[in-house]
Amino acid sequence: MASGKYFFLEFFPGKEENVFQLSPPNPSVTLPVPMNQPAYANPDVLVSTAWVADHSTDPAIRVIESNEDVLLYDTGHIAGAVHIDWHTDLNDPLVRDYISPEAFARLCSRWGITPDTTCVFYGDKANWWACYALWVFRLFGHTNVRIMNGGRDKWTAEGRPLTREKLAYPASDYPVPARRLDDDIRAFADEALAQSRSGKPLIDVRSPGEYRGEITHMPEYPQEGVLRGGHIPGAKSVPWKTAVNEDGTFRTPAELAQIYSVNCGLRKEQDIIAYCRIGERSSHTWFVLTYLLGYPSVRNYDGSWTEWGNRVRMPIERSA
Amino acid sequence: MNKACPDPAEPPAASQYPPKLAAIVSLFEGLPDDEKRETLISYADQAARCAPVEGETYDLEDVRKDEECTDTVGIFLKVAPDRSVHFRVSLGPQVQILTRAMTSILCKGLDSSSIEAVLDLPADFVPRIVGGQLVRVRSQTVYYVLTRMKSACRAYLNRERAAAP
Repeated sequence: MASGKYFFLEFFPGKEENVFQLSPPNPSVTLPVPMNQPAYANPDVLVSTAWVADHSTDPAIRVIESNEDVLLYDTGHIAGAVHIDWHTDLNDPLVRDYISPEAFARLCSRWGITPDTTCVFYGDKANWWACYALWVFRLFGHTNVRIMNGGRDKWTAEGRPLTREKLAYPASDYPVPARRLDDDIRAFADEALAQSRSGKPLIDVRSPGEYRGEITHMPEYPQEGVLRGGHIPGAKSVPWKTAVNEDGTFRTPAELAQIYSVNCGLRKEQDIIAYCRIGERSSHTWFVLTYLLGYPSVRNYDGSWTEWGNRVRMPIERSA
Repeated sequence: MNKACPDPAEPPAASQYPPKLAAIVSLFEGLPDDEKRETLISYADQAARCAPVEGETYDLEDVRKDEECTDTVGIFLKVAPDRSVHFRVSLGPQVQILTRAMTSILCKGLDSSSIEAVLDLPADFVPRIVGGQLVRVRSQTVYYVLTRMKSACRAYLNRERAAAP
């Protein structure tokens, strides 16, 4: 097993306390890999591109593409895949919140999804929005969920086919969920504030520049209306990108454990809250912690920095 | 009502845009959402044809990667003796589909317009083409290419003024 010191010095040279950054993966760097590589906590939740190619039109499986690029699905997608738009399909059109249980049942019915359907999510940006959509499905209690490792970029990099044909599925009878699991896997601003005050783990998954308050937008993205920069007091910086390889696939279980358990010091018995700007990158980290590392109590603060950085009297910390 | 004082809530008529752009706006406004998406993708597919042509010279070239944009965008401006403009645009591979579509629309819609018409063009035609559902904070770069085209026109005028005796 790679020692924490080895990994830290290799990947985080000269970084200040609380800031855990990972340099872009360097092919020349070879981590010591143990002979008996530990497995992900829930290995079944990750499926390969090859597996999806073999199963994309299986009636018990629904492949779901969810992207940031709003027209990407329309330019071509995996055969049989349906499109779920994070904004128009999953968010309430008026209130900043998710759709109602009734609307979720309608959405699933529209795509022929039943509570037993295996929903396999994939998308652009190393699966940011795929993880976000998966997290919303989990909010409504849909448990049979998967992520296609590497997302859309890996599929296309492998030269796998895309189609513009949009399949229609017979409407299913999806029962209206009794409740949304907001208390279990979602955090609100006041809960994040309480977390901060009590010194419990808060993980800021944004870029280091956003965390330090040097910029108020995501690198390479436009402003999203944040008045102040910085981070929630006590939050540790673990950019989402530390969890993935250059091809968008997730790092090995040992590497993930090193990043989150050893270097960041997260323990299984802790309540953990992750946040970013609007909840998509933190969904990615939520997925890693919950499914790949098996942390039992992780919540995604989806209000994130666009709420915290604008809300009156919220405490903010900035790194020197 | 005093016609000299238009209701600010009323959207401008498409005829207030340069003629070719007005025709595109009218086309999109008549389309149902599904066809609108398909048409946008058709325009996006044509964006490569807007790239600068080898051997062609331009009066102004502005190629850069802005911090808030996902990839490099190059604006190539040619001004004819009658002061009408012709744009070519190069786009990096990471540029999103909607921005590619808007590039194609702008190159076609603003072709042969005057510099002044480009500078005066309000951005309110964008949601009329794209539709409200697709314009979101994360996709504000859909306005970016227009901003860069205007910036190129301003730079051209400034250079022209500076060179004037």
